[in-house]
Amino acid sequence: MDMDFSPEDLAFQKEVRAFLDDKLNARLREGAANTPSVFTEPDITREWQAILAEKGWLATSWPVEDGGPGWTPTQKYIFEKECAIAGAPSLPILGLRLVGPVICHFGTPEQKARFLPRIISGEDYWCQGYSEPGAGSDLAAVKTRAERVGDKYVVNGSKIWTTHAHHANWIFALVRTDPTVQKQRGISFLLIPMEQPGVSVSPIVTMANDHEVNATFFDNAETPADNLIGEEGQGWTIAKFLLENERGGSCAAPALLAKLDRIERWAREEASGTNGSMIHDPNISQRLARLRLEAQAFEVTELRILAELAKGRPAGPQTSLVKLTSSNLRQAIDELAVDLFGYDGLQLPVTRPLYGNEAPEYVGSRAAQLSMPAYLNGRAYTIFGGSDEVQKTIIAKQVLGL
Amino acid sequence: MNFDLDENQELFKAAVERFCQGQDVAARRAARALPGGIDRARWKELAELGLIGLAAGEDDGGMGGSHGDLAVVAQALGHAQAVEPWLECGFLPARLLAGSSHLEGVIAGDTIAALAFAEPGRRFVLDAQGVKAKGGKLSGTKQFVLGGGAADVFVVTAEEDGKTALYVVDAKAPEVEVRPYPVADGGVAAIVTFHDASAEGPLAADLHAVINEARLMAAAEMVGLAQRLFADTLEYIKTREQFGQPIGRFQVLQHRMVDAYARVESVQSAILRALLQPAAPMAAIKAHVAENAIWVAHQAVQLHGGMGMSDELGIGHGLKRIVLLSKLFGDPASDILDYARAA
Repeated sequence: MDMDFSPEDLAFQKEVRAFLDDKLNARLREGAANTPSVFTEPDITREWQAILAEKGWLATSWPVEDGGPGWTPTQKYIFEKECAIAGAPSLPILGLRLVGPVICHFGTPEQKARFLPRIISGEDYWCQGYSEPGAGSDLAAVKTRAERVGDKYVVNGSKIWTTHAHHANWIFALVRTDPTVQKQRGISFLLIPMEQPGVSVSPIVTMANDHEVNATFFDNAETPADNLIGEEGQGWTIAKFLLENERGGSCAAPALLAKLDRIERWAREEASGTNGSMIHDPNISQRLARLRLEAQAFEVTELRILAELAKGRPAGPQTSLVKLTSSNLRQAIDELAVDLFGYDGLQLPVTRPLYGNEAPEYVGSRAAQLSMPAYLNGRAYTIFGGSDEVQKTIIAKQVLGL
Repeated sequence: MNFDLDENQELFKAAVERFCQGQDVAARRAARALPGGIDRARWKELAELGLIGLAAGEDDGGMGGSHGDLAVVAQALGHAQAVEPWLECGFLPARLLAGSSHLEGVIAGDTIAALAFAEPGRRFVLDAQGVKAKGGKLSGTKQFVLGGGAADVFVVTAEEDGKTALYVVDAKAPEVEVRPYPVADGGVAAIVTFHDASAEGPLAADLHAVINEARLMAAAEMVGLAQRLFADTLEYIKTREQFGQPIGRFQVLQHRMVDAYARVESVQSAILRALLQPAAPMAAIKAHVAENAIWVAHQAVQLHGGMGMSDELGIGHGLKRIVLLSKLFGDPASDILDYARAA
């Protein structure tokens, strides 16, 4: 038993560090650090995406033949970890990590040739049409109807919480192609172009004052029948593949630990008003210590799953534990940041972005200004992608056999 | 023993409820979007209901309401999710301006006054240091001046001969620089810098005593907010259907709501204890209320799912107001530490 990386992995780590050192410019670092929402805006991600694409390090979870770098799970982890430590921007994962692997796995050669290169080039920006007003945790209750008419599908219905739909030119959606069968079996996975009269997007502003999500409406929207992934009725299987694929090989702990390091730095700079800096405040320092211990243990949990994947064993439903743990850790960390900044943590900027020339003036520090929107936006971590309650049910049933 | 509201308290509560009737999310947002974040016509209406005068003594032209009367108003405003900063620009100035010529305008709702107490780099320390008074003039900077974007006058804590004194400054004076910024509850606070600004004072009010009362009012408002979030969430999980049934049928949510119920009852009791036992530790009770109210608010967001995240519902508004109040004049961690050390 050991927790060491092999000499090859260490050499790779060095290569990644040198690359990040060289390529992560100040604008990208600032954009990444000063984004309080889950997703970074395309003006930042597109630039970073192009840099990674040029290096061949972009579609890290895709097979080599489809444009992936051919990394082992350990290499993927090292890359993610170094990116988190260096403060690299997040990527448009809806294309790269969600629909991309689905197309790699289930797509026809024509679909692969058509869509995959455009995800890598950034020509296509994807959003996800899963939840509906009546289908949240009960995702299989989706009602958005897709009817086959000749060589196309006609789509009617609505999707909600469509992240970055206002930036996207494509949506991958769970649609009902057969309303007569058991609900999971009537669902299909369909790719629909956004730029057409039948699709409209309306913004949903969150309590953090972010515009990240939307409601997306389909009114006789059309998509060629060629844009069905897999078979009709296979949508639920594909949706599950997508979720497990996303959760397997996660690398959340390094970003959490990096945030804790930043909070520690801020605590050293933040005046207590009475006795030096906030790093000596018993509440802040104890919470920081506890969260660090939790995050460090969580890092090993992720490494244990990684080791299984590296041996070719599949990541099972215990990956729900990763989603559950990382979400709750993230929220506790964001709360700590707000509490660190006292009254300065109560400012809540109305406009975005919080980087570059358009950023509103801050009170105290930029970190203080970011803390409240990050905390509020982060309340969604335990809701999206399967809520805490859903994850716990999965673990209870599939891991614990209850 | 009797915990019922008295006749007058029922009237105050009803007055607040009438005042807030129809103030939905859209109306509240429209008020917040006005310059300074306060709808002056609504503010005047609030004053005409006697709800500001209630906080001022009878000798000062007010109604001399008891702590119980005032807490009923604060709790009712919280329950209605009112956007009017009654605590910040009503209660506090009505108390602090006792004996001042500005009080009449404050009680009438014609003058909006904001308390400038927080200083950069001094966290929750109440004693002034950064703003100094000398020969009737103030110099220095305050921040987190709630209602500061709309204020006509500032009530300012200032250091004078090593002590903290209270002064009144005309917000429109050229020596006063106001930089508004948005805060969590949707209101507008300000950074205010005084450049040798003429000030009236010192005022006679006991700052620490009034701040302690304000903690009680903040706690009462949080109780109302938590009760409202609890009620809205209970209603939601009874009507929101997933997996072919109301989600309130799932035992995990039932138990969660029972935990929330227990906390809501606890904070209601805590506030009554604070009212009925005048020696009760106000800051610590506020901390207890705040921690439980935040828990309830987090659950309200969680159980509403994505809808709870949206600014279209009042759920997020409730959470944000609770978070702001939880830190007003000290956060739960610092207040509980002080309480433990004093014990």
